[in-house]
Amino acid sequence: MLVAFLVPVAAGQRELHFFNWSDYLPPAVLENFTRETGIQVHYATYDSNEAMYAKVKLLEGGGYDLVVPSTYMVDRMRKQGLLRPLDRSLLPHFGNLDPHHLDLPFDPENRYSVPYLWGMTGIGVNAERIDPASLHDWADLWQPRFRRALLLPNDMREVFHMAMRVLGLPVNSTDPAHIDAAYRKLRELMPNVRLFSSDAPQILFITGEVDAGMIWNGVAYLAARETPAIRFVQPPGGPLLWMDNLAILRNATNPDEAHALIDYLLRPEVARLISETVGYATPNAAAIAILPPEIRNDPLIYPPADVLERGEYQVDLGEAIGLYTEYWERLKAGQ
Amino acid sequence: MSQRPEILKTVTVGLLAGWLLSFVLAPTLLVVGLSLLSRSPAGFAGGPVTLDNYRRLADPIYLHVFAESFATAFIATLLCLLLGYPFAYGLARARPGLRPLLLTLVIVPFWTSSLVRIYAIRGLLAAKGALNNLLLAAGLIDQPVRLLYTQTAEIVGLVHVLLPFMILPLYASLEKLDPRLLEAARDLGAGPFRRFRHVVLPLTLPGVVAGCLLVFLPALGLFYVGDVLGGSRHLLVGNLLKDQFLEAQDWPFGAAASLVLIGLLLAFLALYAYAAKRIAPDDG
Repeated sequence: MLVAFLVPVAAGQRELHFFNWSDYLPPAVLENFTRETGIQVHYATYDSNEAMYAKVKLLEGGGYDLVVPSTYMVDRMRKQGLLRPLDRSLLPHFGNLDPHHLDLPFDPENRYSVPYLWGMTGIGVNAERIDPASLHDWADLWQPRFRRALLLPNDMREVFHMAMRVLGLPVNSTDPAHIDAAYRKLRELMPNVRLFSSDAPQILFITGEVDAGMIWNGVAYLAARETPAIRFVQPPGGPLLWMDNLAILRNATNPDEAHALIDYLLRPEVARLISETVGYATPNAAAIAILPPEIRNDPLIYPPADVLERGEYQVDLGEAIGLYTEYWERLKAGQ
Repeated sequence: MSQRPEILKTVTVGLLAGWLLSFVLAPTLLVVGLSLLSRSPAGFAGGPVTLDNYRRLADPIYLHVFAESFATAFIATLLCLLLGYPFAYGLARARPGLRPLLLTLVIVPFWTSSLVRIYAIRGLLAAKGALNNLLLAAGLIDQPVRLLYTQTAEIVGLVHVLLPFMILPLYASLEKLDPRLLEAARDLGAGPFRRFRHVVLPLTLPGVVAGCLLVFLPALGLFYVGDVLGGSRHLLVGNLLKDQFLEAQDWPFGAAASLVLIGLLLAFLALYAYAAKRIAPDDG
C-alpha cells in the first residue's frame, strides 16, 4: 500500500525518489545526473523538517529514498531507526568534504548523513536606519530603540537557540528550568518583535519593514547584493550554526541509486553550482577551492576555523520538544 | 416500469453514502479515537486511554487562543456585514440589465487563489508599497507608516477574502423581497428607517444569518492570513493545531483540540438551523 503511488517503470530502468527542501537544488543538476547515469529522479519538496518527518514517519521510513534533514532532525531520525547506514564504498567523493563539518554530535562518524549546505545565523541590520557599529551582540536586540522593529524566524528551535546563548545556557538544554528562563527572556523581547517569518526574510529588510533581526548569512548576502545598506553582523562568541544533510531512508527501495546521487552531489563542480545558485555555503572543501576568491575569503560566509569550532548545532531534544512547544505557544499567545 | 429510476436512486445514494462513510465518518472516528490516546515518543500515539488531552485544553493559554480566534473572526464578520449589506441592497435594486455585470465583479476575485491575493495585499500595505507611496506623494505623511503585521492588516485580509460569501446570500434574499411590501409600508406612513427595520430586515434575516456563518466559520481556519499579514505574532486556532501535529508531535492533543473546534462549529450550525426555522416566513 505504501508504494501504491510509485509509477511502474519499464524493467531495467533505474529510478530514485528524492524529497528535498524547496528552492534548494538547481533543476539542471538533476537533468545532468539523469543524462549521465540513466537514473530517473522523482523530485518532491517540503518546507519544514517537521513536515518531512511526519510523512516519512507515517510511511515507516519508506516512500522516498533520499531526504535532506537538518542536524537535529538527522539526530532524531537516526535514533528512531528511520535512516539507513551509508555505504562509504559507494561514495568515492566523500573525501572532498571539509573535516570541520564531519563527525559532529548529531551524527557521530557520519554513519547516516552527508553534509549538503550549511550556514550561520547572525544579526541582519538595515544601515539606513540603525548604525551597524552600534549593534554587536544578541543581547543588543533587547534595547528599547528596536520597539516593534525586529524580525525573528518563525522557527521555535532558532529562537530558543538564540535565547539560550544570550543567557549563557547550553543551547540544546532539556532542563525545564533552562527552558523556562529562556521563555522569560524572550517574553521581554516580544515588544520589539514586529513579526515572525522564515519566508524570504530578505524581502522584509529590502522593503524597510524591519530595522534588524535574526537572519541567515546566505540570505543577508543575497539581500546586500540588492540593497547595500543591509549588513550582516556576526555576534562574538561561537556562531549559531545550522546544516542540512543528505540521508537515505531505512526502507528506501532504491538505496544504490540514492548513493549514486549523493556521490554526484559531492563532485566539486556540482557542489559549487548548487552553492552559488542557492546562496548558502558548501561543506565541500574541493568545491570551495574553485569558488571565486571574494566569496571563498569572505569571513561572513566561510569563517576562520577557530570561529567555526566554537559554533554549535541543534541536536534532538527528545521529549523536551513538547515543553518547548508549550512555551513557544505561550510566548505567541502573550501569556 | 419504475425499475430503472429505482436502481439509479440506489446507486447514487449508495455512492454518496459510501463516500461520506469512508471520507468523513471514518476519519472523524479515527480522530476521536486518537484524541483519547497518549503521546508516544516512538510512534505518534499509544496507550493508555485517557481524557487528559481534553483536560489540558482548559489551560488559560488555550482558552486565550480560542477566545482571540473567535474575536478576530467576529470582527471580520461584522465588517463584512456592514460592507456587504448596502452592496447587496444596491445590487438587488440595480437595473436588471446591470445585475449580471455587478455579480460577475463580486465573483471575479475567486478566479485567483486567495493566498495570491493575500500576498498582493501585503504588497499594497508594505512600507514601500502603493498605499504609502500614494500618501507620501499627497503630502499626508512624511514617513512611511508601518501598516503591515498588525491585527488591522489581518482583518483587512480576512474581510477581503470573505466578503463575497456575505454578499451572495444577502443578495439572494434581498432579490426575493417583494417591492409591493415596501410600497404598502410607505402608503401606511412608515419612514425609511421603519420600513428597513420592520420590513426589509426581518425578511432578509435568513440571508444575514447564512452570510455571517459563511464568513465566520472560514475566518477561524484561514491561518495563513495571520501568518502573511499579521506576522505570526498572534497564535490562532489554526496555528495551534499545526504546531501540535508538526512541532510538538503531540497528535492526541492536536486531535482533541481539533474536535473541540469542530464541536463549537457544529454548535453554531445548530444555532443557525434553529434560528432559520424560527424566522422562516410562514407563507409558501
